[in-house]
Amino acid sequence: MHAVFRPPVNWRHRRFRYRLVVWRCLNCGAVHHYATSICRRCRSNRVAEDKLPDRARLITYTVVKNPPVAFEKQAPYIVGLVEFEDGTRLVAGITDCDPEELKPGIELEKVVRKIAEDGESGLIVYGYKFRPVITRSH
Amino acid sequence: MRKVYIVGASLLKVDEQWNQSIDSLVTQVVDGLSEVRPWKIDAIYVANALGEILQSQANLGAIVAEDIGLAGVPALRVEAGGASGAAALLAGYQAILSGLADTVLVIGVEKLSDATPEESVFLSSLSERYDLLGFQGVTEAALAAMMYRLYLERYELPQEMVAQFPVLMHEHASKAPHAQYQFKTTLENVLSSPVVSPPLRRLETTAPADGAAAVILCSSDALPTIQHEQVVELAGAASSTDIVSPFDREDPLKLSAAARAFYEALARPGLSREQIKVLEIHDSYSILANLILESIGYSAEGASGLDAKNGMFDYGGKVVINTFGGLKARGHPLGATGVYQAAEIFLQLTGRAGACQVDGAKYGAMISLAGLGSSAYALVMKEG
Repeated sequence: MHAVFRPPVNWRHRRFRYRLVVWRCLNCGAVHHYATSICRRCRSNRVAEDKLPDRARLITYTVVKNPPVAFEKQAPYIVGLVEFEDGTRLVAGITDCDPEELKPGIELEKVVRKIAEDGESGLIVYGYKFRPVITRSH
Repeated sequence: MRKVYIVGASLLKVDEQWNQSIDSLVTQVVDGLSEVRPWKIDAIYVANALGEILQSQANLGAIVAEDIGLAGVPALRVEAGGASGAAALLAGYQAILSGLADTVLVIGVEKLSDATPEESVFLSSLSERYDLLGFQGVTEAALAAMMYRLYLERYELPQEMVAQFPVLMHEHASKAPHAQYQFKTTLENVLSSPVVSPPLRRLETTAPADGAAAVILCSSDALPTIQHEQVVELAGAASSTDIVSPFDREDPLKLSAAARAFYEALARPGLSREQIKVLEIHDSYSILANLILESIGYSAEGASGLDAKNGMFDYGGKVVINTFGGLKARGHPLGATGVYQAAEIFLQLTGRAGACQVDGAKYGAMISLAGLGSSAYALVMKEG
């Protein structure tokens, strides 16, 4: 089968995948994970770079038990739907916890983690994941 | 006004066909159209989703035209994920209505059994955005599972209200000779099958399938010159698109593209939903059956499970869905699925559906989706 990861693809998405840099429509607020000059929601051409916050809330989640190519060794792993304070939603890997610790509404923080390796000597892909925020008791 | 007819349909048993290639599946299925004469075809549309990945074969228009002895005829391949077959049918319908073609051959063919299990999961997620989701290992089944969970929570329903749809599909497929899974199952079996992504279970999804189906379309002008045994009018066809991720839509539980396509296809011949007695829907995940039936208005929001339990979608009910088992049990040979749906409605409206026959059906419709409703196609057929 075709290679799953290609170096140029990872390279061009680096600002989104490592820092959650997005392109936001100045007219309607819709967010794009790719550089664009047309808003996908309202077709405005007033789009500017922005950054999503590093914290979000969990809406729902599930567990991938049947993994795709390049994720065989990671399954089972959690993926969740998260929402930022501006209403932007993102589906992302959820890490550093068990599914039982997750409840809709809990606060999550962004971390940058290894996502996958493509083959034994292949590319290592990094990107954002989210994990539950641990609050200090004092 | 120019009209479009279906004058022949052919379909193969959906199965894991280790000994068959794309070419041999195509020649077999086209052989089943021999009752239609003469073979003067103006255009060929080949629906296929993954040939260039799984069989390393692109350019299926020319390949298939040669396979069936029609090199010389304009032919192209249509890809629209799981809706490829319906997209090819819409292209054929448009070609005939435009006046540029009088006879069109639409073939859907797919061979998924060549993939490993991990490749299958990867490939079944290709209709979702790879740069945003696929690269993170987010599968389409996981997205469907989260829609499922939100659905159960919003309407405070037990899982049974979704998980009973596969039971109904297997019941219908048990009488369908061309179905992949002809065994009956129970709600207990569905709910105890292995978890794919909670709450979604193995028996609420599809499995790798190979298959081919074909139909011949012709114009009202050409109909008198073509020898055929049965005819059905392709009375309406339409498509629509939506924001790709369900969770970026205004309501992730509303399949707006399916609703738009369905009502536009019905409006062309001026039909109402109530006249449709046979309905083929795209149940690649159990939850999509609920969401389609609610989005196109057969059930109130959150009520499709109860309606199904009360027999509304079974024989004797308001409309019979997936009369040969649907994607769940007839099987889902991805790019061919839409052509199977059309061929099955053809069988129903010509009284040749055997033990699956819906008595007195004059109109039938099908809804086919790519991804989780980002593309939707609807076709409406009328007794010939």
